[in-house]
Amino acid sequence: MTDDNASQDAVVIERSFDAPVDVIWQMWTDPEHFKAWYGPDGATIPVAKMDVRVGGTRLVCMEMQTPNGAMQMWFTGEYREVVENERLVYTESMSDENGNVSSPSDLDMPEGHPTTTEVRVELADVGGRTKMVMTHAGVPSDSPGATGWAMAFQKLAALVDARTDR
Amino acid sequence: MTTAIEEDRLSETFAALANSTRRAILARLAEGAATVNELAEPFEMKLPAISKHIKVLERAGLVVRGQRAQYRPCALDAAPLEEVSTWAEQYRPVWEARFDRMDDYLTHLRPQTKDRRTR
Repeated sequence: MTDDNASQDAVVIERSFDAPVDVIWQMWTDPEHFKAWYGPDGATIPVAKMDVRVGGTRLVCMEMQTPNGAMQMWFTGEYREVVENERLVYTESMSDENGNVSSPSDLDMPEGHPTTTEVRVELADVGGRTKMVMTHAGVPSDSPGATGWAMAFQKLAALVDARTDR
Repeated sequence: MTTAIEEDRLSETFAALANSTRRAILARLAEGAATVNELAEPFEMKLPAISKHIKVLERAGLVVRGQRAQYRPCALDAAPLEEVSTWAEQYRPVWEARFDRMDDYLTHLRPQTKDRRTR
């Protein structure tokens, strides 16, 4: 059995920016810069609290204007790896404004539905420019039903591949 | 972003997969169609219990059952699994748009002199 990071459920995006690594690092770790680019179109980021050190927490609020007024979504997480200008890894879960993580049932999802994701940002200096690789992956939640996720994906992914190759 | 209906379907698939017996059944069916009796063999479980698991898989669209044969063999339908494996893909356009904005923002931040040099 291979143990290569199980989940197929990851988005990997590689980008190159015309800016030095320390500037890109600030884009992710300085709340003022982060607010400027992070919100999806039509959304603003009124709150971004970041305690950027291993074990430190983050709390981000996304606000969207709807016909029924402003709608807020809160996300919390923890920094797992912090290597300045090189690597940043943090988790992300939906939460309330106090950073209490929402359970799958709060979100109308069955137990075992992955609700925590991990964002990994890797930066490399390429002649003054920055190559960035961002990986956003689902991680098994702590509920007992979810421990099988990694395995389930590993096995079933192979199976899906076999099927789609037909 | 996915629609509410797609999200519901996805939730059903996740719920169906969140059980080791059901995953084992799917793994067995990946090798080929099988009857309920054959599927029950490796488990220390009564037939009705296995039937119940198969019903959950059927509802999630992961298993289809033959109509003609007396034993109504079960077969795997991998389509919902493909949706699960692309679950994270819904985030891709969101991130791409974010990084486009990061790019714009960086251009905006860049000192005027450097900006003029390139234009």
